[in-house]
Amino acid sequence: MSSAISVSGLVKRFGRTRALDGLDLDVRAGEVHGFLGPNGSGKSTTIRVLLGLLRADAGAVQLLGGDPWRDAVALHRRLAYVPGDVTLWPTISGGEVIDLLSRLRGGVDPRRRAELLERFDLDPRKKARTYSKGNRQKVALVAALASDVELLVLDEPTSGLDPIMEATFQSCIQDVRAQGRTVLLSSHILAEAEALCDRVSIIRLGCTVQSGTLADLRHLTRTSVTAETARPVTGLADLPGVRGLQATDRRVSFDVDSDHLEGAVRHLTDAGLRSLASAPPTLEELFLRQYGDELAAAGDVGLTGSRA
Amino acid sequence: MTSPTLAGTGTLLRFAVRRDRVRLPIWVLAGAVLMATQSSSNQRFYRTPESLVAYRASAGSNAASIAFSGPPVGLDNVAGTIAFEISSPLVLLAVLMAMFTTARHTRADEEAGRTELLRSVQLGRHAPLLAATVLSAAACAVLGVAIAAAAALSGLPVAGSVLLGVATASVGLVFTGVTAVCAQLSGVTRGVYGLVGALLGISFVVRAIGDSNGGGLSWLSPIGWAQATHPWSDDRWWPLLLPLAIAPALFVLARRLLDRRDSGAGLLQPRPGAATAPRGLSTPLGLAWRLHRGTVLAWGAGVTLLGFVYGGLGESVETLLGDNPDAQMFFRGDSTAELIDSYLGGTLRITALLVAAYAVSATCRSRTEETSGRAESVLATGVSRLRWLGSHLTVALIGSTGLLLLDGLATGTSRALATGDAGELPRLVGAAVAYAPAVWVVAGLAAVLIGLVPSAAVTTAWIVFAGLLVITLFAEGFDWPAWVSDLSPLAQTPTVPAEQWQATPLLALGGLAVVLVAAGLAAFRRRDLATG
Repeated sequence: MSSAISVSGLVKRFGRTRALDGLDLDVRAGEVHGFLGPNGSGKSTTIRVLLGLLRADAGAVQLLGGDPWRDAVALHRRLAYVPGDVTLWPTISGGEVIDLLSRLRGGVDPRRRAELLERFDLDPRKKARTYSKGNRQKVALVAALASDVELLVLDEPTSGLDPIMEATFQSCIQDVRAQGRTVLLSSHILAEAEALCDRVSIIRLGCTVQSGTLADLRHLTRTSVTAETARPVTGLADLPGVRGLQATDRRVSFDVDSDHLEGAVRHLTDAGLRSLASAPPTLEELFLRQYGDELAAAGDVGLTGSRA
Repeated sequence: MTSPTLAGTGTLLRFAVRRDRVRLPIWVLAGAVLMATQSSSNQRFYRTPESLVAYRASAGSNAASIAFSGPPVGLDNVAGTIAFEISSPLVLLAVLMAMFTTARHTRADEEAGRTELLRSVQLGRHAPLLAATVLSAAACAVLGVAIAAAAALSGLPVAGSVLLGVATASVGLVFTGVTAVCAQLSGVTRGVYGLVGALLGISFVVRAIGDSNGGGLSWLSPIGWAQATHPWSDDRWWPLLLPLAIAPALFVLARRLLDRRDSGAGLLQPRPGAATAPRGLSTPLGLAWRLHRGTVLAWGAGVTLLGFVYGGLGESVETLLGDNPDAQMFFRGDSTAELIDSYLGGTLRITALLVAAYAVSATCRSRTEETSGRAESVLATGVSRLRWLGSHLTVALIGSTGLLLLDGLATGTSRALATGDAGELPRLVGAAVAYAPAVWVVAGLAAVLIGLVPSAAVTTAWIVFAGLLVITLFAEGFDWPAWVSDLSPLAQTPTVPAEQWQATPLLALGGLAVVLVAAGLAAFRRRDLATG
């Protein structure tokens, strides 16, 4: 499968701070790729380099087979962008903004536009000044989704949307994926990434710390297990990779590193397994593990300690 | 507090004073400076009875200057000419101060959501309105005191000085009430400014017509009430009973209206926009025009009015300046025709200076688009940097050229009507448009700043303009060395019709403008876009 976006060793400095410090990112054509990281980790800066709004200081960046700085105009006709903080022209109506941005991108499909306005429940006649944050976000989303483009670059697109609109957004992205288009979705709402993304990249302090499918990433972390056995289990605590063991007679619960799961379950079977419940780690847990040391350093030990 | 709906007014008022501790003193100081300058310059200009006779015969009997200034009363002494010339500018200052202060603490706070935050604590429903109007009324009073003091200290009779100060403050008081009412009507601050501005315009026009034909129409205008006091001649106090009665009534009305609307909303429903974009809104240039349109049209109206007034005053210049050696220092010329040409050349240059201010503000508009993040949305579509900044520059360059053309047309038309010589029109249009290359250079300079030093660009561009202003207004009068004036592109333009036409400086300025614009565009292409 070819790459829609490929970034390696990207460096971007603002004065003396290194906003991006050797970032890697690979987005394959046709996938929904989650771009995850806490505030200030460099997601928006990366996206602005990808759009040719900022110039990279070092590293190789390719977007849809071109150079995002040199070929900006030609590439932009093939993509649509929703900024994280949508600001609109106060005296221009939402409908006019949607038409303008779509036309500048090369045309609007009136049927899809009308359908999207309906789905997002947006009044196109209101002046942008009178829109709430969520409604401004909807204007940018409708403008992006109404365009017939190969790649959607969405920077925290659902901030300010209510849960119903969030669901609408998710179904729109499912449609986009079904049409074989590519999506780069930056987010810190993990449930959203979990519901939508084929693969994710987690970044921190301007460089990539993890990248892969959710299944890949889950391998790197722990599963929580609760089991009942016929006989009391002994020696479980001595097994490698088992943590946080709580045992009451014939009922045990513990976390186990994913690559030691098999050994632990075998141990339970030996004790006569009656019932077993195991929960794969949520993205939330993946995320917290990546940033666990940061949180611990900030004195927030309780949050990480409960899982580790 | 007597009423629970006014609870917390005092606290809010103290907070408002703190927020405006820099703004309000600037307004007051501006009023005092305006008064003092006018007083000292008129006392210098019209020292002799002959010069006052000439003044009465010219400015005092010219419809244009009466329409612009007010009723021509008491022009037989210097103080009367001062009241005649300064009362309109002072009233305008007081009204603007009252409008901005009142709207800032009522509708603007409400629009930004700050009022909601305050109302959630123990604060009465009417407290913000009362605090804002009390603040504005107090500011008007202080402005009145400052004007009276400046007038008295510059050597004018005390009684008339106090009356002029109080009369000016009374118009501010009425417009405090007007703004308070408009802040209930419109849901957005700009809408409030629009409504108050329209009422101010109507008050001005009604007064202008009334004073020109003497038909009593001026009594329908708050500006007319203030000017009916005739400071330093009749010293009448009773016309001020009108504003004193109207202002509280307006406040009570505003309070009633406030009770009839929802928090955050206005009584007037905002007009919905178009559901789909018109055909013109499909290109960066279309967008730029849409964004600049209102400003260009407002400037166009102002420049046209100015052109008509300056052109219309041309005839009075002869009588006004003919025997006045002090005035002749400013407008040199041996014959009457030369004197008028010198006057017209001077006014066209002043208007060109104003158009240069427009060119700076229009060019800097692109920077506002960039820092607000709106440029990012456009530049992420199939629009190049060149086309985007180029669109804003195109509007700035063509817009400023259009303004110069309007100035020439207005000045020329009013001159042609006054003299019956149709040849005045093309002559003055040419003279006005000759400033275009100089104005383009100013815009080009702003473009270079935006390309090279984006974060300092707007401030630096206005500093450059301030330098231009100082050179244009003072270099000649204070006999500064020639190289100082040479720095100004406006001074490089021949002051036609006073001077001969010359193509070389215009071509040189035009070439320089092209280089500057190209350099600005090239630098903008190479740099990072401002983020967030």
